[in-house]
Amino acid sequence: MPTIALSQVRKTYPGSSTDAVRSLDLEIADGEFMCLLGPSGCGKTTTLRMIAGLENLSAGELRIGDRVVDSAVEATFVPPEDRKLGLVFQSYALWPHLTIERNTDFGLRLRKVPKAERIKRTDDVMRALGIEQYRDRYPSQLSGGQQQRVALARMLAVSPGVLLLDEPLSNLDARLRLEMRAELKRIHGKFGTTIVFVTHDQWEAMTLATTIAVMNDGVIQQMGTPDDIYERPANRFVAEFVGSPPINLIEQNANTPIAAAIASYLDGRLHDVGAVALTGIRPEAIVLHTDAKDVPQDSFNLRAVIEGVLPTGGSWIVEVRAGGQLLFMTTHVAPTLSAGDDVTMVVEPAAFHLFDTDGQRMLNADKALGHSAG
Amino acid sequence: MRVETPLALPDDKPSFTQAMRYKMKLTMREPTTAVGFVVAIIFAYLILLPVLSILLDAVKVQLGDARRIGGEVGDGTLYYLHRTFLSPVAQNFFWGPLKNTLSVALGAILLSFLIGTPLAWLLSRTDMFARRWFATALIVPYMLPSWTFALAWTTLFKNRTVGGQQGWLEAMGMTPPDWMSYGQFPITIILSLHYAPFIILLLGNGLRRLDSQLEDSARILGATRGQIAVQVLLPLMRPALFSAALLIFAKCLGDFGVTYVLGLPVQFDVLATSLYRSIGSRQTGVAGVLAGSIMAMGIVALLIDAYVVREARRFVTVGSKGSMDRKSQLKKWRIPATGFAAFIFIISVGLPVLTLTLSTIMFVPAKFTLDNFTLQYWIGTDLETVAMRTGILLAPDMWSAAWNTLRIVGSAAVSAGFLGLLVGYVVVRTPFRPLSTFLRHVTFLPYLVPGIAFAAAYLSLFAVSHGPVPALYGTTAILILALTADQMPYASRAGISAMMQLGKEPEEAAQVAGAGWVRRMRSIVIPIQKRSLVTGVLLPFISGIKGLSLFVMLAVPSTDVLTTYSLRLIDYNYTQAANAVVLIIAAVAYFGTLLAQRLTNTNLAEGLGG
Ligand SMILES: Nc1ncnc2c1ncn2[C@@H]1O[C@H](COP(=O)(O)OP(=O)(O)OP(=O)(O)O)[C@@H](O)[C@H]1O
Ligand SMILES: [Mg+2]
Repeated sequence: MPTIALSQVRKTYPGSSTDAVRSLDLEIADGEFMCLLGPSGCGKTTTLRMIAGLENLSAGELRIGDRVVDSAVEATFVPPEDRKLGLVFQSYALWPHLTIERNTDFGLRLRKVPKAERIKRTDDVMRALGIEQYRDRYPSQLSGGQQQRVALARMLAVSPGVLLLDEPLSNLDARLRLEMRAELKRIHGKFGTTIVFVTHDQWEAMTLATTIAVMNDGVIQQMGTPDDIYERPANRFVAEFVGSPPINLIEQNANTPIAAAIASYLDGRLHDVGAVALTGIRPEAIVLHTDAKDVPQDSFNLRAVIEGVLPTGGSWIVEVRAGGQLLFMTTHVAPTLSAGDDVTMVVEPAAFHLFDTDGQRMLNADKALGHSAG
Repeated sequence: MRVETPLALPDDKPSFTQAMRYKMKLTMREPTTAVGFVVAIIFAYLILLPVLSILLDAVKVQLGDARRIGGEVGDGTLYYLHRTFLSPVAQNFFWGPLKNTLSVALGAILLSFLIGTPLAWLLSRTDMFARRWFATALIVPYMLPSWTFALAWTTLFKNRTVGGQQGWLEAMGMTPPDWMSYGQFPITIILSLHYAPFIILLLGNGLRRLDSQLEDSARILGATRGQIAVQVLLPLMRPALFSAALLIFAKCLGDFGVTYVLGLPVQFDVLATSLYRSIGSRQTGVAGVLAGSIMAMGIVALLIDAYVVREARRFVTVGSKGSMDRKSQLKKWRIPATGFAAFIFIISVGLPVLTLTLSTIMFVPAKFTLDNFTLQYWIGTDLETVAMRTGILLAPDMWSAAWNTLRIVGSAAVSAGFLGLLVGYVVVRTPFRPLSTFLRHVTFLPYLVPGIAFAAAYLSLFAVSHGPVPALYGTTAILILALTADQMPYASRAGISAMMQLGKEPEEAAQVAGAGWVRRMRSIVIPIQKRSLVTGVLLPFISGIKGLSLFVMLAVPSTDVLTTYSLRLIDYNYTQAANAVVLIIAAVAYFGTLLAQRLTNTNLAEGLGG
């Protein structure tokens, strides 16, 4: 299967003054399960529609394999019907006048697949997605989850090399969502399909993707494995967007005791401490000790006061105030502490995420602090 | 995993020519825009050209006037404007008819409000008896052609001013005065009965969807019913009322048939009949001025309406939780109220239909003895009359007219329906905005042009051959073309709204699956739109069958349709036969409308103005 490559792609909708997507560079390799992750309105759907050919580019170039399929400079545009991709719409877009079976075998009929094979493939895919008992119904007679599976079956029936999915699980209840995630993963493994999956749900992206591209304001912020994204956020936006509860951010120029404590801790370990504008600490990287003697030697520590303990079912969020700032930490061990208790908070050096004044990750600091390489 | 990025050129902004080439490519990639251009050319030819030509006629020296005006045929001139607006005959051509048009229209608006407002309220908000039945029955007048009522009126009230079979009153020895038999009085009454359903539908809809919490809060604050009506309901309903009034006005401007039947004997002219006369007497220039004036008034009315509707959107009051079906108890007024509704039904439907029906089975008017009744005008043979020697159902002419109607109106309706959907498709889908704007406006244009003027334009344009187009006068082709063009406002509006509702995703899904344009039209768009396509054909069909003015101008005996055939019968004083034909038309229009409503699960309110 070919690689899909977008380079310097820009999209401005007619009549709109701002760019929906600007200077977007993105490669999707063969067999990848790529998630486009980003807040609402950041241009995910637009990107997907450009790949499918339902929107044209305002500038830049889009290739599938060696072939340029859309480029304003070369005046090339390959229409969607010739791109041989699969696309599942956010709203499903099933054909209301066709039965489930006819919806599913539409593409096969179009390709004039011999009848026996067509019936076999339709049956197979309908069985795989558990919709064969609805074959004679019309879309309006199915629930949202069932419709969604039909939308998927319709695309899978023609086994496209690339499957584009626009928030396909957003209308499902939690259980179905889990099931469908597993199903997608299975399809990806079994057919080796390249999948581009749009979502604004970070857990969905984390659990499914081989690669995640985080988008904001029409620009790719970071592209990498789920680990990369979580462990080594490339900038402030990614650090804040991924993770729940969100990462604790300490402004180094804010003149708080905690900022000063961090600065003095980093001093000596890092040669350009002055460049650090922002420090991030993931909630699960904070450990609390009631006894100062237990505090490990080399770690950062600071006196803190518990402000509250919020159970979240099997795990807990603890709010602590340390050095003039409220921080969140999470734990899977039932805390014996309660509001008002004095503790020492401890953070391993490798758990610090440092960002410069532009909000970019300070890569050179990672090695100095013992951050595992990416 | 990562692949080498194909290095983008550092500054790859496409140049102007590149951008244009790309744009061309995108625009022409799909047949949508190409099809749009073809349709646009067709309509430019079928609608724009005729309208422009009749407007140009108003300022160009016409054949036969060259010597009088001084100048060559085709030169620019203000002579016709002067003649129509300022000369001594202007009174006859324009100012008199204008006064009549306005007074008839205003009278009709007032009267239909007097009838329609209470009925709308009774039907939507009270526990009147048989509400459901009346809700349909009171709309029937609008389904029947307006001039049906004019014929019923003459059957009853004709006096000796005109020859032919006597009116019933006259036959019973009471000679009705002229003002009652002809002219302004009956025309106003008939138009208001015909258009009262507008008020009932528009106002009734508004009242039904009104949030009853608004009334409740007023009541809690201590307002009496009367205060609520005046201070809450009336202001909220004002946009709907205003809109209905303007619609009636626009309709009255173009109404030709009623005045043609009832105004002629006393030389009562409205603008539409004045236009007909000036065309009949070959005063093409004056006709152009008159047509332009009617169009201008229609445009102004519609612009005002659009403005009012837009203003009204600012306070949306419909469709919230509180809009439940709460009914006022009429108590002792229940029977009188039902009586009022029944009375209106009887005079607006029962009486006219009964009169026409009776007149077709009686030898002599208003003589209710058994030996005066006969079915011979329907199914008789060897009648004593000179020409119509068989009953109407056995007359070959009738059947050929019926066949012509079916053929002509049918093909026009089918083409209008398909063109309407196509226009809807192009308007909604083309990336080329000017094309979409042009199509929307050009297909709406005939709405503003009275049928008579439109027909006149066709006559002058297509009577002689133009390049590859042969002379079409006297052919069915000219009727089909004119009728198709005339029905485009409704057909294209239906098509556009149907396509807007469809959304583009079902089609995009097929496109991604690999379906090209033709395939998508065939397998996705048209099947999904089947229902609205049926309506898009049926509504123009009904309206075409009722239509009079186009046919009056364009049909010749060999292309007679039912409407012109009945007029010819009237001219020859075969009253019974003429009325029988009119009844047949009314029946087709009525049952056709019911069928259309059944098919679309809607009521007429949405298709109003159609
Ligand atoms: N057809 C359109 N015309 C004009 N602007 C549009 C159009 N479609 C999207 N936009 C704008 O482009 C931007 C990106 O939209 P897009 O639909 O790609 O966002 P998204 O990331 O898919 O968001 P969501 O998560 O809400 O689906 C938004 O600001 C949106 O308002
Ligand atoms: Mg989206």
